[in-house]
Amino acid sequence: MSLQLLSGISLCYFLLLFAVAFYADRRRRQGKSIVTNASIYSLSLAVYCTSWTYYGSVGRAATSGLDFLTIYLGPTLICFSWWYLLRKIILISKEHNIVSIADFISSRYGKSTYLGIIVTVFAVLGIVPYIALQLKAIAYTFNMLCGPDHNLTTSFQLQFPNLPMVIDTAFVVAIFLSLFCILFGAMRLDSTERHEGLMAAVALESVIKLFAFIAVGLFVTYGLFDGFTDLFSRFSNEYPEKTQLWIISSANNSSGRWFSMTFMSMMAIMFLPRQFHAMVIENSDHNHIRKAMWAFPAYLFLINLFVIPIAIAGVLIYRGDTSLADYYVLCLPLLAHQKGLAILVFIGGFSAAAGMVMLESVASATMILNNLIMPIILRCNLKMTDISGLLLTIKRFAIVSVIFLGYFYYRMLGESQALVNIGLISFMAATQFAPALLGGLYWERATHHGAATGLLSGFVLWFYTLLIPTFVDAGWLADTLLTQGPFGIEFLRPTALFYLNNLDIWSHSLFWTLFFNIGCFLTISILSTPSSDEAAQAMRFVRVSTWQDESQKLKRISKAPTVMEFVDLMTKFIGEKQANTAISSYLGEREIDEKGSLSEYEIPNLKRFTERTLAGSVGGAAARIIIENYLSARGSKMEDIFNIFGTVSLSRDASREQLSVLYEAANMIASGADLDTIYDNILDLLYHQFRFDLCAIRMYDEDSNLLKVRNFRGIDTEFLSHADRKLDENTCIGTAYVTNKVTLANDSDCVDNPISMEIIHREGIKSFAHAPITIEGQPIGVLSSYSRYAKGIYTEEFIELYKNLAYHIGIAWRNSQQTGQLIAASEREKELKIAESIQLGLLPDTMPSLEHTDIAGICVPAKQVGGDYFDFIYQDNELDIIIADVSGHNIGAALLMAEARTFIQSQAHQLATAPAVLNALNRFMHNDLSKAELFITMFYLQYNPQQQRISYANAGHNHPILLRHDSMEFEELDAEGLILGINLEVDFEERQTTFNAGDMLVLYTDGIIEAENNRQEMYGFDRLKSVILDNRQLGAQEIIDNTMEQARIFQGLRHFNDDVTMIIVKI
Amino acid sequence: MSRESTTQQRQIWLIFFFLGIIMLNFPFMQIFNRPETIFCLPLMVLYLLVGWPLSIVVIYIFSRSLESNDDDEAVEPPEQEDN
Repeated sequence: MSLQLLSGISLCYFLLLFAVAFYADRRRRQGKSIVTNASIYSLSLAVYCTSWTYYGSVGRAATSGLDFLTIYLGPTLICFSWWYLLRKIILISKEHNIVSIADFISSRYGKSTYLGIIVTVFAVLGIVPYIALQLKAIAYTFNMLCGPDHNLTTSFQLQFPNLPMVIDTAFVVAIFLSLFCILFGAMRLDSTERHEGLMAAVALESVIKLFAFIAVGLFVTYGLFDGFTDLFSRFSNEYPEKTQLWIISSANNSSGRWFSMTFMSMMAIMFLPRQFHAMVIENSDHNHIRKAMWAFPAYLFLINLFVIPIAIAGVLIYRGDTSLADYYVLCLPLLAHQKGLAILVFIGGFSAAAGMVMLESVASATMILNNLIMPIILRCNLKMTDISGLLLTIKRFAIVSVIFLGYFYYRMLGESQALVNIGLISFMAATQFAPALLGGLYWERATHHGAATGLLSGFVLWFYTLLIPTFVDAGWLADTLLTQGPFGIEFLRPTALFYLNNLDIWSHSLFWTLFFNIGCFLTISILSTPSSDEAAQAMRFVRVSTWQDESQKLKRISKAPTVMEFVDLMTKFIGEKQANTAISSYLGEREIDEKGSLSEYEIPNLKRFTERTLAGSVGGAAARIIIENYLSARGSKMEDIFNIFGTVSLSRDASREQLSVLYEAANMIASGADLDTIYDNILDLLYHQFRFDLCAIRMYDEDSNLLKVRNFRGIDTEFLSHADRKLDENTCIGTAYVTNKVTLANDSDCVDNPISMEIIHREGIKSFAHAPITIEGQPIGVLSSYSRYAKGIYTEEFIELYKNLAYHIGIAWRNSQQTGQLIAASEREKELKIAESIQLGLLPDTMPSLEHTDIAGICVPAKQVGGDYFDFIYQDNELDIIIADVSGHNIGAALLMAEARTFIQSQAHQLATAPAVLNALNRFMHNDLSKAELFITMFYLQYNPQQQRISYANAGHNHPILLRHDSMEFEELDAEGLILGINLEVDFEERQTTFNAGDMLVLYTDGIIEAENNRQEMYGFDRLKSVILDNRQLGAQEIIDNTMEQARIFQGLRHFNDDVTMIIVKI
Repeated sequence: MSRESTTQQRQIWLIFFFLGIIMLNFPFMQIFNRPETIFCLPLMVLYLLVGWPLSIVVIYIFSRSLESNDDDEAVEPPEQEDN
């Protein structure tokens, strides 16, 4: 076959791949992706089948039997776990914008830079020979098709002898592959924008390699031979000794090797960088797993269906010669002169190799850029405003480097044995990622120290137990190393480490690598403590679905960058267009505050978003460094974890803590302690639970019209804990009071009030808050708290709690006010009681006992003390009867009544007539009464029993009535005279009348006749007269009692609203 | 999907996973590791040719049962922590 034809066909195939990739990319840009479906996803996973399996499986089957199947049975088994394991990995990767396996492991362990470096270095080390193997397969089969003899003379050199030696088939292939990868794998920098073009090409390659392999299988099995049974029966007839191939011999630990290889391939399908890339990074919807988990094993089954028949056919056709077994797939059609089929097989093999090289190089380049180059770039601290172009160039360069490293490896070692087992050696390398990755997924305690030591020891052992023996086989190292151990130390023989010599090389290596890997991982993890960042990250990974970002809300950034500054930062690394797209999609979902910028608590979210966006381009570890460097360069930093509720010892749950704090505050208020104690206790609670430096309560003082410090707890400084504040908006405290709103500053640098600013800076306050203390919505004071140690402690949740505490303080204040009033009222009550008893003592306690005279008197004050008064003075066989009513019935009236009584008691003896007494009394009391704006009505009566006469004077009092026995008629006693206290000089008329036996004299105050019932009717004079008339036969006291009873009955439920006094004299 | 059926699903999955590992490894495979042939096909080849697709069918049936399960909680159901 001519070189030109084959080159032309290869080129056409390349162009087809380009076209498909280009089409897929264009469709993606139009939003009508052809790649985001489960079938393409399943096919893209088949990149697992490289040329090593495409050609090598047959070779392995022909030479060593069935164990090639383990490479496919392992993945089939692990597929069971995909719905749980792979889906979890995918969810986490999407969440954290993870771009490679190195990124995944480094992210899990606190975005550790050096862990990323370790994984990258080992991944690339394990991959480069594998890429070499693919290049070799392409070049070898290409040459095989072109060359007349099936040797490795490169066709290009034959055709173009002038070309330098270095330019051979593999070189040309490498160039084309590099070009393809750059075009579809590194078009842009944002790696999370999946490479749909690349994946479309890989999926197409998977279809073609399957199609080609089945085609050749059908041709060989049913074209050259007569089906499976024919092949097997011929084989067992011609080579009965080789039927042992279909039996797994019990010798040489075959069963152990079977298990080891199954296990390795289980791990390889998950953790080979290209598999991780295809399965996790390129996954567009985790629901695609559902189809992939059966479709992918089915693919593996189909592609292996004809491996054994082809191997048997090869052995039969080549008469037992298995030297070309690795290329039976291609040789058999060639021998049968089926050129078309041979070309199809070549294209299939080319697909298998190219797909692997493309994905592997893109995955490796991403790792190299993010985990190796980025840390260096960041260390150099480039001043360019946009380094995204530089990064893209580096990534492209990394892709080319990886492919050409593979090429040079192939050039140097292409013919040596070092390539034979490189597939399985790569598998073993991928297996080393398993403990750190799986452990990190399910074990929160795993730390980056543990992961790093585990990985390092695993890889050292991998190198020692697998690569060294391979190098010995290749002849680079002396055989004695294997037989006698290094420096003759027998127990260090690479294939029989610590005398473990009854295992095959894979089981031996698997055992020792995992023993040390897992051992170190577990031990060091348990012994080391993760940092808080790492622990948080571990939680996010292990509890991917239950993790809530609650605690994150409590972080803040001091001197936070603005949104535009974040955009500039992103622009530097991912380019202006992408940065703008990213930020607009972010801001579209966010609430923007009144100033048109993000609220203080949104900024940390934006920071995380920026970090995640950057992680998509440069990897998690580098993104973290970028953000940290940037923030520290501008003097801002993520503050410590200011979960103010975290300082409360009761629980981690904020709402429960709020409740518990409020509960304690309510308890203090309910304790019944005095207000100062309650206030001190509440301030203590605030001060201790939330570690403030000062908490203070200022209450409004009416006298000075100031907010005066009432209680404080914490630092004692003149300006904060003692200074009163005016009721204006010049200070923050004044503002809180006047506006009746919480005034707070999470960052004292941002206070714009000059007076407050001065005070705060003088006292070194970092943040503070003032909440108005209110009663029924009206402010009565301000609760203040200050912190010198932390900014940003006033979260929304905390402010709610704080407002509640201020409200509680208001309640305590009102309670105490009410208690004070109650106490004062009871004090007054007590005093009135005393006054009442004194006043009652002033009234005559016994009635004067006169012969043939029945006297009774009563005084019922309407309240405790009253202004009514009656008295008897007996002298010179005359009885003076006095009844008086001081206006009002309060303590003032009672005092004046007492004064009047004292005067009368002392002066009555010296003054002969009633008018004289009234006159003297009027003059004496005039001043006092005028001052008190009170007056007295008084009836003064002198009764002479011998003469049976009464003489009397009246100072404006109700007219007493005299019931005449003989006529049974009432006679009113009236005399001219003005109320006491109006004029200084008053003429009081004296009148006289007889008071005969059987007559009855009734003196009373207006309380009795003005007694009201519910219908506002008055008891009245007539009712009084009729009661007295009805009861005239009874004794004086009984008449009074009956009269009072009748008056009370008349009033019903009401009480006397004036003092009631009544005197009855019967003779 | 209820929590119970998710748990049950996980348990079924675990059983099949370990059953698969056991049946595709030694010593179980030793049963078929014999020189006899059926229709000229070696016993072991036949076993793998039947056993392998069978396990794929099991996965297929399992994946069908996941059809209605679209909630992310299945990744880490809370009862895992409770137990």
